[in-house]
Amino acid sequence: MIKFENVTKVYNKTVRAVDDISFNVKGGEIVGFIGPNGSGKTTTMKMLTGIVKADVGKIIVNGFNVRKEPIKAKESIGYIADSPDMFLRLKGTEFLDLIGDIYHVPTDKRQERIKEFAERFELSEALSSQIMSYSHGMRQKIMVIAALMHNPPVWILDEPMVGLDPKSAFELKQMMRDHAKAGNAVFFSTHVLEVAEKLCDRVIIIKKGNILFDGTLETLESTSKNESLEKIFLELTEK
Amino acid sequence: MSIYLKLVKALISTVEPSTEEKSYNKIFYRIMGFIAVFGIMLPMAFFVGVVIYALTQPLAVQGAGQNAVELFLHLIAVFSFIFGLNVIFSVFYFSGDIESLLPLPLRSYQIIGSKFTAALISESVMEFIVIIAAFAGYIIASGRAFYAWIIAIFGMLTLPFIKNKDMVNKITGFLTLAVVVGIAVLVSNMGGLDTEHLVDALADPSNPLLTVMNCIFPQVHFLVSSMVNNTFINLLFYLAVNGLAIAAFLLIAEGVYFRTAVGINYVSGKKKDKEKVISSLKMHNPCLTYLKKEFKILFRTPAYFTNCIIINLIWPVFLYIVYLLNGKTNFLDDFIYKIHNGDEESVLILILAISALSVLITAANCIASSALTREGKHFAFMKYIPLSYIAQINIKALVSIIISGAGMIIYVIAAALYLNLGLKMTIFCCLVSILSVSFVSYFGIFMDSVNPKLIWDDELNALRGNYNVFFNMAVAILLEGITCAGSYLLFKFTALGSIIIVIMLFILLMILNTVSYLLCSYKATANIDKLSV
Repeated sequence: MIKFENVTKVYNKTVRAVDDISFNVKGGEIVGFIGPNGSGKTTTMKMLTGIVKADVGKIIVNGFNVRKEPIKAKESIGYIADSPDMFLRLKGTEFLDLIGDIYHVPTDKRQERIKEFAERFELSEALSSQIMSYSHGMRQKIMVIAALMHNPPVWILDEPMVGLDPKSAFELKQMMRDHAKAGNAVFFSTHVLEVAEKLCDRVIIIKKGNILFDGTLETLESTSKNESLEKIFLELTEK
Repeated sequence: MSIYLKLVKALISTVEPSTEEKSYNKIFYRIMGFIAVFGIMLPMAFFVGVVIYALTQPLAVQGAGQNAVELFLHLIAVFSFIFGLNVIFSVFYFSGDIESLLPLPLRSYQIIGSKFTAALISESVMEFIVIIAAFAGYIIASGRAFYAWIIAIFGMLTLPFIKNKDMVNKITGFLTLAVVVGIAVLVSNMGGLDTEHLVDALADPSNPLLTVMNCIFPQVHFLVSSMVNNTFINLLFYLAVNGLAIAAFLLIAEGVYFRTAVGINYVSGKKKDKEKVISSLKMHNPCLTYLKKEFKILFRTPAYFTNCIIINLIWPVFLYIVYLLNGKTNFLDDFIYKIHNGDEESVLILILAISALSVLITAANCIASSALTREGKHFAFMKYIPLSYIAQINIKALVSIIISGAGMIIYVIAAALYLNLGLKMTIFCCLVSILSVSFVSYFGIFMDSVNPKLIWDDELNALRGNYNVFFNMAVAILLEGITCAGSYLLFKFTALGSIIIVIMLFILLMILNTVSYLLCSYKATANIDKLSV
């Protein structure tokens, strides 16, 4: 579903934000993308969604090359950005309608999905208000609904748990599991190792634009005897 | 004091436009800056100086030499007031930094004072230049001495403070319009603009415009009186009025700012029935929905509503003021008579004026030239949605064409009815107007794509201090100026008739449209693609 082949991104000809990385995410998999601040997580996700242009390498999403067939690749993606402060002057329904139209979601499917997700997130009451009046968590929830509305084969989430209350975080994790179970790929970044531990089939650890580890949590844990994921992560990234 | 200065420094840095690091863009920006300074700012300042000089000489004969510069300073004060209203609410209440500043252990007057100073510095560059020109025009014409220069420089540095006198008004857009209409009414009571009548009207001690203005902005009168009569006491009065205004402003701020600023960004919404809300969600054409989104954001965001929408309504009032000022002259009557009689030169002037006005209005409302900048922090949205860049550019251009074009067509039709132009001529004038609007709209988006200012704290910041808006205006005015002047000169000094020249103008507008569209298709889309956000 997601294929990164020798991808590099250099900012201002000096900063190698992502340095020749390669990885795959298959359908049905939940892959956590972990790394310290400034390690290249967001740049990688932005290259995947077409926001940032890779200098070198090839990125394939759902069989479409992000550079050569950008519209088809983008149609395959549901993306939650790191900041949910978007179109604050629009009402919740207006924003969802905009996203629904852009991703060609039919009326019946749109109503059905928004109703279901809004109830799960307890957001139904707020949909007719401007997003400006929402709390950070509510804004995050509406971004999740927008990203899932067209049932994308590839779901990309940049720090999705930030600002969510425990119930909503639980719902989101469940949604991610359900989405992967339906054969879709879920790729998300997080700083919360506990989330990665409980949710991921696989983790990719990145530091200074280089992948340090790509594998299952069991493999990672087997590299160090009786140590917590947190300690292993710190050992890996502080080398 | 050091906290205040540090705050001012920090706040100014957030207003400053971003600088482009790539060398080819640096050169492009330098060229644009050169065009803006030498094509707009300096000619405008020179024009102001010459007008004040020309009016001061005959007024001085009647013993009222200071009235021209006084009226001009009042006009500057009114402009500061009109455009300051938007700045005040945006800067003091709706900027993104408010939530960071309010929890800090700062007094209200420190926040307000520093925000005011930062806004003043960033807003008043052009004002200073034209005020220098006005004082220069007056001083040269009246032969004033060294003291007058000192007072003039002092006044130039302190005059824009008056913009904060009336900060407590929330319906800024409509108030702006009301102020402009008010000026129109006052002007209508004043007399015509032919030099003789205007000089008489200005020299009249009971002139209603100056009387009213002196009541609203008394410090201007004190400043000018000090300069004219070389009296120190008037300068003290001037300082006292400004000092009192600032003291009152800071005192009120200390009392009410925290109470009014906390929670101001809360927006209430009517709760609707859940089922109805869900059933209202329906599939539409994505481009149509995107277009509606653009309109909703423009109309619902106060800074955009005032600067991009309301400004289109101000223009006809200004034109009406000009018309009123021309009331006692025969120029307009002659022009209408000539148009009715099919005078080729008058018809050509009319068409050129419509084209020029369309360009000016479209460039001034900056809907197109800030189209990408207004996306701000969510610019990435444009890049990750499955809608091509050119489709999004077309929609943004269409918004500008609809708003600017609709306004222009109403004015053209009104003028056509007044001038009894006939259907064919009216349609042709509308076409010229739309072609002019469309060219500036696409060109504006291209200009904005070169280096959009995506980091801003409040929406007004997206518009002010945005070089792209200014450069687009400069280039559009320059191109239109060359086109109009060239067309007129061709008519005057060649054997080409007005019909041929109008056809040439039409073809030229088509070419400009094609070029600006191609610039958007190839360069602007590439610029968007290259932007890392």
